[in-house]
Amino acid sequence: MSNYFKGIGVSLILGLAAATTAPAQAEEISIGGVFPLSGPNAIYGEIFQSSLRLAEDHIKDDQMLEGGMRILYEDSQALPQQAVLAMNKLVSVNNVPYVMSAFTGPSKAVAPIANRSKTVVVNGGGVGPDLAKLGEYFWNVIPLANTEMRSLLPYMVEEQDYKKFTLVYVDDPLGEGVLEVLQEQLPELGASLVNKYSIPATAQQFGGLAAKIRNDDPDVVFLASYGDQQVQIIKQLRQNGVTARFASYSAFSTPTVQALPEAEGALYATQAIDFEAEDAFTRRFVDDFKAAYGKLPTVYATNYYNAAMVFAMLGKELQSQGKPITGENLLELRRATESFNLVGGSVSFDEKGTLIAPIQIMEVNGSGSKVLKIGKP
Amino acid sequence: MVLLQLLVNGIQTGTIYALTAIGFALIFGSTRIFHFAHGAIFVIAAYVFKFVIGDLSLHWGIASIAAVSAAVLAGLLVNFLIYVPIQRHEGSYFTVFVASFGVVIVVQNAIAMIFGRGFVAIETSLSNAVEVFSGLFMAPLFGIVIACSAIVLTGLHLILTRTHFGIALRALSQNPELVRTFGLSTRRLSAYAFVLGSALVVPAAIFTGATSGLNPSIGLHIMLISLVATIAGGIGSIWGAACIALAIGVAENLVLWQLDTQWSEAVAFAFLLVFLIFRPAGLFRLASTH
Repeated sequence: MSNYFKGIGVSLILGLAAATTAPAQAEEISIGGVFPLSGPNAIYGEIFQSSLRLAEDHIKDDQMLEGGMRILYEDSQALPQQAVLAMNKLVSVNNVPYVMSAFTGPSKAVAPIANRSKTVVVNGGGVGPDLAKLGEYFWNVIPLANTEMRSLLPYMVEEQDYKKFTLVYVDDPLGEGVLEVLQEQLPELGASLVNKYSIPATAQQFGGLAAKIRNDDPDVVFLASYGDQQVQIIKQLRQNGVTARFASYSAFSTPTVQALPEAEGALYATQAIDFEAEDAFTRRFVDDFKAAYGKLPTVYATNYYNAAMVFAMLGKELQSQGKPITGENLLELRRATESFNLVGGSVSFDEKGTLIAPIQIMEVNGSGSKVLKIGKP
Repeated sequence: MVLLQLLVNGIQTGTIYALTAIGFALIFGSTRIFHFAHGAIFVIAAYVFKFVIGDLSLHWGIASIAAVSAAVLAGLLVNFLIYVPIQRHEGSYFTVFVASFGVVIVVQNAIAMIFGRGFVAIETSLSNAVEVFSGLFMAPLFGIVIACSAIVLTGLHLILTRTHFGIALRALSQNPELVRTFGLSTRRLSAYAFVLGSALVVPAAIFTGATSGLNPSIGLHIMLISLVATIAGGIGSIWGAACIALAIGVAENLVLWQLDTQWSEAVAFAFLLVFLIFRPAGLFRLASTH
């Protein structure tokens, strides 16, 4: 019997010795993506995932992270409640240190969980001005709507001489933010907001709204909506006799708006990304994206590629320093990093964690958009 | 003039709602199956029409026949593959409802995979409004919607009142036991109700695609309107459902005269809630032994 126990003891010791002396196999790192994957805004989820697939491939090919990286997607349906459920699962079950979110409402909803669990949340699609104030663990790799509108409104009022604006906005944090900016900036510029119409995110009939807007006779109809709804609004307003020029924030940069004949002439602002830049990082992304999808990437697609790459760069540095990849360490390292070389060039974050980038004024021209003006960051 | 414009818009919206609701009212009234998948049939019809007329560039008549065929086939498949087996095993009313809801989700995702998740519209110059007199804009489609609705409703009225099939369907709606006593197959009559009800959704699907556009998840909104119209109109009453659906469309638009779009659905449904408090059996409640 004693030999039997001796045998077990020796086996255990040898087993432990083998386990401690064998080279440690680094674990695969998971990060999260809380995107609308179903419902009327699912088109955005597709756009975001298209570039994140490339990011995963590039990170793997370059062996940036020991153990590799994979993205766990959860469906937010672009709704705050669903986003909270998704975020809780990613944080509590999957223990991810880094989550990418989209849309203003869902992003605001997950921010308290991010701060409580010290998980970094990076937004690359929502542009509500409030997103800059959601705490140190909430970062934006996209300039917010107030920044975009600070470039767009002076251009429209001072250079294009538009004076009367009507706002159609979704009754959510983004829409409220856009309303605040218009109410504040238009009078300063010598223009006016002649009327404003709040709409629910689920509304689909806008024939009646067209009658009211025609009655206002504005120079510009400013839209603060997104997804399929903004396309429906543009189409129905035009079909029902509204001739005023359309304008918006970067929401108009989606392929559906770009291809919509009724949207021709619409103005919008978005961050300026030079897809013709010659640096290897930009060329690789743009060329591989074109090869995979047969078209140039959108700004949103680029933002999420950049978001994944920011994680990979920070994670690589943490691994080289022998530190674990946690939200706290990612935050500390991001603060210590002056700039990041991402698609379009070198960019930096402001003290609140929002990307500083130049803004460009775009015009929808029926087959895409053309740049009218590029402003300074 | 704004009020008149809103009324015109409301009549167009309400007429499309009515065309949507009568199919559901017919199926629900006749079979008492909570056919939530009616919204999915609507989506299938709309996308098939859009595919045939847009992608295949075929004549609208062929596209309409394709849409009707797809809608009828889908309606029959849902009945025979989902509802009949559940009822055979004496599944409860709620089991059928949950299964039907599942069909909507499956169809929504299947459509998204096949046609994409983005917004699509049936392109036609008929939906472009022109100023008919100062401040009043109307699209040619408005007249087509009204004419089509009149034809569909008259045809349905004739079918239900002048044919043995229609009379049997009405009998099924009011007293299925008596129908069986007369040796008629309730299951076969239910299948006919699905054929007719599914075909009825096609005009509304086409008009919706042309006026407000489509996305794979539009079926849920369609079902909400159909459901409310059927209950408030009086279960079993196709005319009641049509009248309430028309009223919802008009109310949604007239509300905009004084309030934001934000409130249009809320006010329309609040009006219906008050209506149901005073008339809980609905507008035209029919006697029934269901």
